[in-house]
Amino acid sequence: MSESYEYLFKFLVIGSAGTGKSSLLNNFIGNKFKEDRCHTIGVEFGSKIVNIGGKSTKLQIWDTAGQERFRSVTRSYYRGAAGALLVYDVTSRDSFNALANWLRDARTLASPNIVILLVGNKKDLEESREVTFTEASQFAQDNELMFLETSAKTGENVEEAFLKCSKTILAKIETGELDPERIGSGIQYGTGTSKRLGAPKRPTRTPSDCACRV
Amino acid sequence: MDFAEFIKQERLEEFPPAWIADVKGEFVFENENYQIKTEDLSIDYKDLIKEAKRLCIVCNKVFSNSYSYLVHNIDHLTIPLDKLNIEVPLQQNDSQKQQLHYSCVNMLTEEMDNRHGPPGVNSRSLTAAQSAAELEVLKEIENVYFTPPSEFNAARYALEHVPSYTNCDEIEQMFTKLKRQQQVVSGKALHLISQQRDNCDREFGEIQNIRQQLSETLSTCKKAREKLRSASNHLTISTFVILANVRKRQIIKSVLKSLDLLRSLRSVEKDVAELITKKQYFEAIELIMQSKKAASNNKEYKCIADLASRLQDTLDMTEEKLDSVLSSMCYNFDPIVFAKLKSAYDLLGKTQAAMEQLHMHYSSAVNESAFEAVKPFVDNVSMETKFQELCRSVPTTKAPLCLLNLCEKLFLVMRSYYLLVNWYSKHEESSMVTNVFDIEKNVSREYIKQKLKGGLIRIWNDVQGKVSTFLKSLGLEEYPFEKFIQMLGILRKLTQVAEVFCGDTSDLLRDFIKTQSVSYIKNYHKGRMEELKLFLENEGWEQCPVKSTFTLLNLQEFKQFKRYFKPKNDIGTSSQSSSSVHSLDNSVYISKYFNETTRTPFEMFRNENVTNDDIFGLEPESEVSEESDDEPEELKRDFVDDADVQNSPSKVAHSVIVTNTTLSVLRNCGQYLQITRYLPQIALEVIMLMNQLFDYYFFTVHLFFTSDLDVASSTLYTSKLNLLLKRISNIEDSFSSPSIPEHLEKTEANLHGLSERIVGVESIVFLAKQFEILQPYLESIVAQHQRMILEHFRDNTLAVVGDLRMPVYMASASKALDARSALIAMSQVRWDVKTVAEEHSAYVDMIVRKIQVFALRLENISQKITLNVDIVNAVWGMVAKFIVHLLVEGFSNASKCSNGGRGLMQLDYRQLFVKLEKISGLKPIPYQDYVDRYVKAYYLPRNELEEFVRDRVEYSNKHLIALITCACENKRDRQALSSAVEGREAAM
Repeated sequence: MSESYEYLFKFLVIGSAGTGKSSLLNNFIGNKFKEDRCHTIGVEFGSKIVNIGGKSTKLQIWDTAGQERFRSVTRSYYRGAAGALLVYDVTSRDSFNALANWLRDARTLASPNIVILLVGNKKDLEESREVTFTEASQFAQDNELMFLETSAKTGENVEEAFLKCSKTILAKIETGELDPERIGSGIQYGTGTSKRLGAPKRPTRTPSDCACRV
Repeated sequence: MDFAEFIKQERLEEFPPAWIADVKGEFVFENENYQIKTEDLSIDYKDLIKEAKRLCIVCNKVFSNSYSYLVHNIDHLTIPLDKLNIEVPLQQNDSQKQQLHYSCVNMLTEEMDNRHGPPGVNSRSLTAAQSAAELEVLKEIENVYFTPPSEFNAARYALEHVPSYTNCDEIEQMFTKLKRQQQVVSGKALHLISQQRDNCDREFGEIQNIRQQLSETLSTCKKAREKLRSASNHLTISTFVILANVRKRQIIKSVLKSLDLLRSLRSVEKDVAELITKKQYFEAIELIMQSKKAASNNKEYKCIADLASRLQDTLDMTEEKLDSVLSSMCYNFDPIVFAKLKSAYDLLGKTQAAMEQLHMHYSSAVNESAFEAVKPFVDNVSMETKFQELCRSVPTTKAPLCLLNLCEKLFLVMRSYYLLVNWYSKHEESSMVTNVFDIEKNVSREYIKQKLKGGLIRIWNDVQGKVSTFLKSLGLEEYPFEKFIQMLGILRKLTQVAEVFCGDTSDLLRDFIKTQSVSYIKNYHKGRMEELKLFLENEGWEQCPVKSTFTLLNLQEFKQFKRYFKPKNDIGTSSQSSSSVHSLDNSVYISKYFNETTRTPFEMFRNENVTNDDIFGLEPESEVSEESDDEPEELKRDFVDDADVQNSPSKVAHSVIVTNTTLSVLRNCGQYLQITRYLPQIALEVIMLMNQLFDYYFFTVHLFFTSDLDVASSTLYTSKLNLLLKRISNIEDSFSSPSIPEHLEKTEANLHGLSERIVGVESIVFLAKQFEILQPYLESIVAQHQRMILEHFRDNTLAVVGDLRMPVYMASASKALDARSALIAMSQVRWDVKTVAEEHSAYVDMIVRKIQVFALRLENISQKITLNVDIVNAVWGMVAKFIVHLLVEGFSNASKCSNGGRGLMQLDYRQLFVKLEKISGLKPIPYQDYVDRYVKAYYLPRNELEEFVRDRVEYSNKHLIALITCACENKRDRQALSSAVEGREAAM
């Protein structure tokens, strides 16, 4: 397995308990779907190298426990995440309603620039759907999120979700909106690249950052 | 009568000319004799009795035939025939007969003339004178007149002898003379005839008699001939006809047989082909052999001579066909077909050669099967591709399936061979008894037996070689865990198969599996270590909310091991006995597949739902159902018990502090242990790697939480801890150590990350406990001689983990208590007071205040994490330790000290300890001896003080010098002791 990659993105998978976060991750890294898996304890971890726009990028994905009691544990992993999948369950209104809280946590604990993709999982269970696509789309639009409906069971849109999020991050790096060299950016240069893309970093620094240093 | 004569006479024409030719020379024609006999009669009797009317010229009587006429004639014969030569020999010719006849007739005629002439001629009463005269006359008759009339003409003679000068007288005279002579002769003849009449009559009677006998004989002969003819007709001839017919039939039969033979010989090829398609190999070979024999027996037929060579071709061809059938045995052994083949080869006398051939076929079958098994997984295969190259081009995703295919295909060959060997041993037993005397056969059989026995190993080695080649070209390290396990399962099954197959422990493959497994697990471990590093670097050191009863057994990864941790279970024996049962079951189970025709032991791998336990034939977890009542519920609650979190620290008997990383390490351990279940042979290696995870965790906690330790560490590290850290730092060279995180908040308010420190240390303590739980099980899965290593790890690593509390907690304690300001405060105290003070010094209150703040902050921490007494005590212990060192340091800073000052010191630290006891709950305060002893040494006499200085290594030189300075008023003593202190240092 070649460990050579150009970028490393730190990813989070967050959302209420039982929305299928671990299933999404497992599907993405190529494991079989299990009908009744246990709740995640703390966080779990998975990584995969994907090719985004010709650049091999390692995704370091932290799959967090959705249960409230693990909040304190999982929060510590938010720090410095470059991207996040915010997952809700299309068959659970509660999980959709909790999105706002999760979103706030992510934006405050990770970084304000974190790229978040809203994921409506379990779209295969169409008959028990409680959250409509348009409704979720509206929420995504209001909060400036990307949005996809997926099924970890069938694998539909799972890879797309991670890739779409990664592409957006990469695009932001290329426009200079994100600086890989800033600590806590959740982005690292990999083994297979020089830091040539890091050139435009300085000019994009905000004045407030400079003020902090003084 | 002669047999041959009959044949000649009777049915000669019916016999083949050859026969006739054969017989011809032997024939004797006796008929001629017969005929000759009849001819013996001077007169042809046949002619005599022939019917013809004859008239007697004398008496005018009529006769029916010549014979009776002649007999009658005799009556008239009166002329004596004395002078007539009537006694002619029996065998006289016709002319003589005629002569006789003529003479007689002549005489008779003359007699009759005489009757008419002068009388008395015929008178019988002749006188003697007359007789004498007559005799004289007779004498005068010239001899010439007795010449037969044919040669002599009497008249002419008389005329010729008439004298030339003729005169009547003379003639008369002559006439008279002749007349006289004639009369005398006639008379004489008559006389003779009459004289001979009786004789003649008697002869005639005799003749008559003979005639009668002859006729009788003739009729007998005729009858006999008749009878014989009928006899021959009825008996001999028909029998001979029958015989002849039989012979003919036999000849025809033999001809027919030959023709049949010819026909069968001509159709041998076809018949053989037919027999072979019917799988009647023995019969086919037999047919050819017989045909060959028949052909060689009938070489005289030209067409057969041609056939003979063709038969050889047919035999060769048939042998080839047999060979191909033989080779098909390699893939699917059919005892019935093989028995036929064997008998056919026996008949050919090529049993041994066939065996060699069969082994060759098996070898090539292994090659071919291997090739065929891998081929479908590779694109663009040419026949020239070597197996190794082929294996190399198998895409990694298809490799497990390909391996499965390979094993299955090879298994078929193995099974076929296994059945062959079984067949032989079965048939050998049955045939041994019957042919016990046949040494040569026995030798050959023994040879075959050895060959078969060796063949088992050889084929297995071939198979092993193929599989190894395949595996070597894969690079197993890169496979996902599940696939790797699956492939291992396949290989394991293969080794089990081999055990049944040839009793071989398949060391080659096992070694290969072992090395591959080790390298796989090392590679896998590398990944886990990197992951662990990542986890540790990202770890928030927050307590993971798990139930207070949580142990690693609650994790899914350990579900299968639960039964090994039952306290009453005798793990060693139970697991051993169950494993031996397994292997027995396995062999029975596997041998079942050897005797089945359709299924293979590998087909379970084709099943999508097959679990690893199924693959490895491990017992399903029976205990699960037993405990199902409380277990799932607990799993659902994720071991969380919120109530525990709220408990106050002192009440918690034992808290479970685990971090997310701890759990992930435990999970990894679970997976490692699962690997050991499947690979018991590398259990130790896996355990060592597992321990490495632990070591790394431990190392990281130490690194993270002692890096900011700013007090002298010599008394904080136990010697075992030092050894442990040294050992780990050696090992960790191969893995990059984690970078110390910067995200951890270390402020005064949170006691400089005390919460994180506690979580870090306590989580490793917890982890050590979990490892200890595992130890009995681990000991059961490693070999006896390897247990030492585990014990060493337990005694020198797990048992030492608690020691890490000191340096880590000290880091917080030392920072929280602000040594600098305390020391400054202490230095402001006057220790050379004359009177003992009533009040303790101000710095005590200052320190107590710090302790109070510390206690408050600790309380805050206990809201977040469950602190049990051990932890709290450990923390307070470090606080106490820091305080005593602080005090000693402060006291040693006093350049002058009176007895009163010493008292004040005691008053101060007593007061401090009372307060500390109250706040911390520690009773007694640990380490207080340290300060107590130091302060009281002031009161020791000189020699005891010297001893104190020499032995108390826990105090620094500075402390001791200060002590001496204060305690010794005598300058010389002071110098002596000071040099003792310095000497101590040099000695150390």
